[in-house]
Amino acid sequence: MRLTTGLLAMAAGVLLTLMTLTNAVLAQHTGAVFASWAAHGIGAVVALLLLLVTPRTATPEGRTPLWYYLGGIPGALVVVLSAIAVNSELALSGTIALMLTGQVIFGAVSDHLGLLDTPRRPITGTDLAVAGCVLSGAVLIVLGGA
Amino acid sequence: MLFFVVLALSNGLLIGVSRTINGRLSTRRGAFAASVWNHVVGLAFLSVVLLVMRVWPDVTRVPVAAYAGGVFGALFVAVNSYVFPRLGAMSAAVLVIAGQVLSAVVIDCVRQAALPSPLRLAGVALVLAGLCLPLLRK
Repeated sequence: MRLTTGLLAMAAGVLLTLMTLTNAVLAQHTGAVFASWAAHGIGAVVALLLLLVTPRTATPEGRTPLWYYLGGIPGALVVVLSAIAVNSELALSGTIALMLTGQVIFGAVSDHLGLLDTPRRPITGTDLAVAGCVLSGAVLIVLGGA
Repeated sequence: MLFFVVLALSNGLLIGVSRTINGRLSTRRGAFAASVWNHVVGLAFLSVVLLVMRVWPDVTRVPVAAYAGGVFGALFVAVNSYVFPRLGAMSAAVLVIAGQVLSAVVIDCVRQAALPSPLRLAGVALVLAGLCLPLLRK
């Protein structure tokens, strides 16, 4: 079960690569912010279609806090800020390497403290070793050039 | 320089915040609804940014295929919102990154019809070793 979920997470990573690849073509023609705006618009339509054709999920009891709906704001902010960072001395590879590092650091702190209403999760030694290997490998890949 | 380092690191943090919030929403409304909300709210936010920046590019010469990113994005947010609460923020981030960099290496290989640099191959080996660690412990 956990293995399947893990493989699904890696498949999400593949989707992210395909998205980055196509969005980069659009951004070359139009600029980073417009490219992301267009991708969000098309993504909204596609997500809505997917929602309509998939079985409805029952909403659990209780109210859904308003901020649960606002995950798109930090996500969209990333596009704007990374456009600035990419144009600095960090360049694309430096920016990506630091963004990956920031994600893993956030994940560790969030799991440990249970940030943003998430359940606390103990981080095991194995978890940290996996994170260390994958992150350093990813940074080597990003900085190592094609 | 330090400013940009902090900026790029904070960007990673924002990605984590965004995916965590979408994951929370998916536990109440489902993964596809989380993807809809993420895209609609992000679109509204970026519309304001575009209006403030007053930039409207010439889109007549853009190949249609370049717009396919939105399709991958819609699927990505749904799948990621599903796995996030199940795996936890750190493991989910690590596995997504693994899938991302490994597929990027494969795509670069195919597009350039060349093997990756030695440094990249070392990176691939490290990522794969990391992914195998939990399997060895069982």
